[in-house]
Amino acid sequence: MTAPARLSGLELPAFATPGIKGPGHGSPAGAGPPRNRMAVAVFSLIGAFLAFYLLASNLGWTPPVPCGAGDCGTVQSSKYAKVGPVPVSGIGLAGYLALLMLSLAGLQGRLASSRSIPLLLFAGSLSGFLFSAYLTYLEAAVIKAWCRYCVASAIIITIVFAATLPELKRIRGGSGP
Amino acid sequence: MRNFYIIILAVAVIGGGVLFYAMRGGSAAVEPVDLGELEQQELIDMAQPAGVYGDPDAPITIMEFADYQCGACKQFGLFIKPQLDAAYIRTGQAKLVVHDFPRFPHAFLAARAVRCAGDQDRYWEYHDLILHSQEDWSPMKSVTGHFNDLAKELQLDTRAFGDCLASDSHADVVTANLRLGEALGVTGTPSLFVHRGGPPVIRLGGSGFLDIQQAIEGEGEN
Repeated sequence: MTAPARLSGLELPAFATPGIKGPGHGSPAGAGPPRNRMAVAVFSLIGAFLAFYLLASNLGWTPPVPCGAGDCGTVQSSKYAKVGPVPVSGIGLAGYLALLMLSLAGLQGRLASSRSIPLLLFAGSLSGFLFSAYLTYLEAAVIKAWCRYCVASAIIITIVFAATLPELKRIRGGSGP
Repeated sequence: MRNFYIIILAVAVIGGGVLFYAMRGGSAAVEPVDLGELEQQELIDMAQPAGVYGDPDAPITIMEFADYQCGACKQFGLFIKPQLDAAYIRTGQAKLVVHDFPRFPHAFLAARAVRCAGDQDRYWEYHDLILHSQEDWSPMKSVTGHFNDLAKELQLDTRAFGDCLASDSHADVVTANLRLGEALGVTGTPSLFVHRGGPPVIRLGGSGFLDIQQAIEGEGEN
């Protein structure tokens, strides 16, 4: 067990000290685990379920996705629904799971103050956000059909991306909320 | 942190439950449903044909039990039907009545899709289109997108069509058609019967135009 560290008279919890290389990394003393990472974890998990459902439907593991407007089929059967042999929903699932793992890791004592977690979280969510924006553009301008589940996923990744913005501060060396 | 783990757990449980429900079948029917025990007359009443081509009052009925995923049914629907049309249907002598006999993996959903188009009075157009594109959708793992595309191509009300396809609409009638075929001894598709509204009901050994011509001419002589 790591002994509590003393810094300028303040006693920090043991979980906050390992890996600290300078001031401001991880959560400030007494602030608790980063709340933005909790939000990333929750929304990434929701996104992962959604992506898995679309992937399962795409691979024929489930009955047709009930779409209502009937445009989900158009989107899912378009040539843009796959990148090479990989369904877009599969890429989404992998992305959401990676963000979920990173955010959960970023809530654990030893890793909370890691320098790489903020970078990976921000880079991952930014990639997802840009990819999702591109897919939304394709739906609107090229396929000219909307899939409500894809739109829901776009909203989720936007929330996840917004929730990772405080990581920028941690990347630069400040402390996030 | 405790609240966070409770929220994560709740999301996992709800998400898992929804996925489990969806993967068990959700509300979209893709295979025969349980109709329970039915009397013979109940089954006949329930097994309404998918489509009637020609004058409903025509004296001779040509009954086809069809599977939209079967290659021979495509041949019958696209090449034999026009010949029957010219020889017997347009003249008002006969009508073609199509019953569903879905056996191939996507055939049940296809049968429902054609009936969903029938709800918008576009049964025969969708019937021909789904047979025309059979080789495109038959190898697909998921055919919903293609069926929705066909509805779009025919400029159907895609919202109504999509809702119909994603539900269990017509699942009972398609199942009743299948059971009627089984009760009549149908084992393959297309299976054809010719009658004049009652016995004798002639079961055809083949599905070529000459088989039907022979049955109609012979039946007419009786």
